Amino acid sequence: MIALEDVAKTYRSQRGVTVALAGVSLRVGQGQAVALVGRSGSGKTTLLHCVAGIERPDHGRVICLGLDLAALAPSALQRLLRERVGIVFQRGGLLSYLTVAENVAFPLSLNGMARRQRERRVLELLDRVGLAQAGRALPDELSGGETQRVALARAIAHRPQLLLADEPTASLDSASGGRLVGLMLELGREHGCTVLVATHDPDVVRLTEESIELRDGQVVARP
Amino acid sequence: MSVSFWAGVALRFLWRSWRATAVLAVMVAGAVASLTLLSALAVGVGDAMVRNSVGLYAGHLVGEPLPAGLDLAALHVPGVSAVLARGSAVGVLSRGERDGPVSLVVVDPEAEAAATALPRKAVAGRYLRAGEPAVFLSRPLAEALAARPGDTVSFAAPGRVDTTPLKVVGVYESGVDRLDRGVSFVPRGALPVSTPLQSVAVFLRAGVEPEAVRETYAGTLPEVAGRFRTWAELMPGLQELIELNYLSMGVVTALVFAVVALGVAGAFVIFIVQRLREHGVMKAMGVSAGETVLMLTLQVGLMSIAAAAAGTVIGVALVIALGHGGIDLGAFTAHNPYFAVSAVVYPRLTAFSAGLPPLLAVGFPLLAALGPARYVARRPAAEILRTL
Repeated sequence: MIALEDVAKTYRSQRGVTVALAGVSLRVGQGQAVALVGRSGSGKTTLLHCVAGIERPDHGRVICLGLDLAALAPSALQRLLRERVGIVFQRGGLLSYLTVAENVAFPLSLNGMARRQRERRVLELLDRVGLAQAGRALPDELSGGETQRVALARAIAHRPQLLLADEPTASLDSASGGRLVGLMLELGREHGCTVLVATHDPDVVRLTEESIELRDGQVVARP
Repeated sequence: MSVSFWAGVALRFLWRSWRATAVLAVMVAGAVASLTLLSALAVGVGDAMVRNSVGLYAGHLVGEPLPAGLDLAALHVPGVSAVLARGSAVGVLSRGERDGPVSLVVVDPEAEAAATALPRKAVAGRYLRAGEPAVFLSRPLAEALAARPGDTVSFAAPGRVDTTPLKVVGVYESGVDRLDRGVSFVPRGALPVSTPLQSVAVFLRAGVEPEAVRETYAGTLPEVAGRFRTWAELMPGLQELIELNYLSMGVVTALVFAVVALGVAGAFVIFIVQRLREHGVMKAMGVSAGETVLMLTLQVGLMSIAAAAAGTVIGVALVIALGHGGIDLGAFTAHNPYFAVSAVVYPRLTAFSAGLPPLLAVGFPLLAALGPARYVARRPAAEILRTL
């Protein structure tokens, strides 16, 4: 279960103060697939980062997979990120000097999975995302859609309980974006994964079970 | 934290950024090769100065004063190549109206010619032969007496009215003031006065330490071992010069690698800034600050180790190649007494010359890389991902 209680986050820079989240409270049940909708700057990415624990809110409480993140030691937070959370970053976030297969294997290696088992899992996943032949390619040889599919394979490789995706379709055409999100939700369902997708793409919203709209750092609608 | 896993990631980074890796590696390897050769040359220069200073006349160990009945054969211990016994007589040498004070060293000419370079420093005539009533004059004394080879000079010992005629067979100039200003040589038996054993010069084989031979003497000849002094004790100025030479080379090496380290660190700062988002992604995947530092220092460390190894191989090959024939520095040392015999320098590898450059080539860049690595390690993942 994911729960945010009155979470606030403000950034200060030379340009002034930016309120990213202003008292957000919400709950997402285990296994749900929810879209976080809103314009650019509405607070979607900050909310995802707070849920993942890589951003510390100024105020409020975040419960992620039953754990109060404020109470977690750094090592416990790292363990949570390694073992139980998967993230699809904007523009993929693949490691440029690792091949496609090595990128997908990265979280498995971090978790100490044996080589043979790791290789089998990577092959399965690449096959599943339609890139079985691309294992030896480097990220800069991939198209935008292929990059995001590899990013998805990497995010779910270690079978996380929570999958976070930050604008996964931003650089894709609507057909490719739709296929990617469809695949993401399908894989999420298969693994009983809670899925939170930040997007401003209405096609993505239609594919999810529920959507939460953010505007100026506040939840404005939860149909 | 698996070091082998992070080493694998670091190696993949280096391999797949091969152009930048190659440029940095060539820089480090070039510096190591150059400084290995220069350090070996510094050692070679030190060797040449010692070889010249002891090989001309003095020997590696000098024993004096020694008892008359000392068995010289007992001084031939392992590592010793020659033992030269020398007597002395002071007096006045005269030729016609001219005269001058002299310290005559009584020698065994054949043994001296075999072990020392002084006989080859004749500027006129030849060196002594055993048993002949002759003298081998230093050039200043020959000029003071206006004597040339073939002339006869007379030696008068203090308190004696009779003189000993000695034929000048040769004139030498060693370039060492201490010898040239007052020492001339006569064969054993050429003087009627008593010339008891005054000193013994011990010459050692290459690589044998004088202290080790003296310790052997302490075991076999305890009554005289304390009277032997090494070349370093007799010529502290030379010892200091050699140490100064090594120190200068060490400082130059450290300065060069400080600059190389800044270059390597600068390049890695660029790598890190270019891939900062990837570091943010890794942190968001649960990579710890320690693992980030480990990965970045492994990148620098593995590149430096490989480059330092290559540089050492090249440097050692250069030292071996130049070590056979040596490098003749005669054009720069014509008036230097420490190169009076030969100006050929043979570069030599020691722990200093072969060890210091690669050690610094790995150590300095690693230290320099810690700054950028800590910078990345300390920046929160969300901050990196937000700003890029």
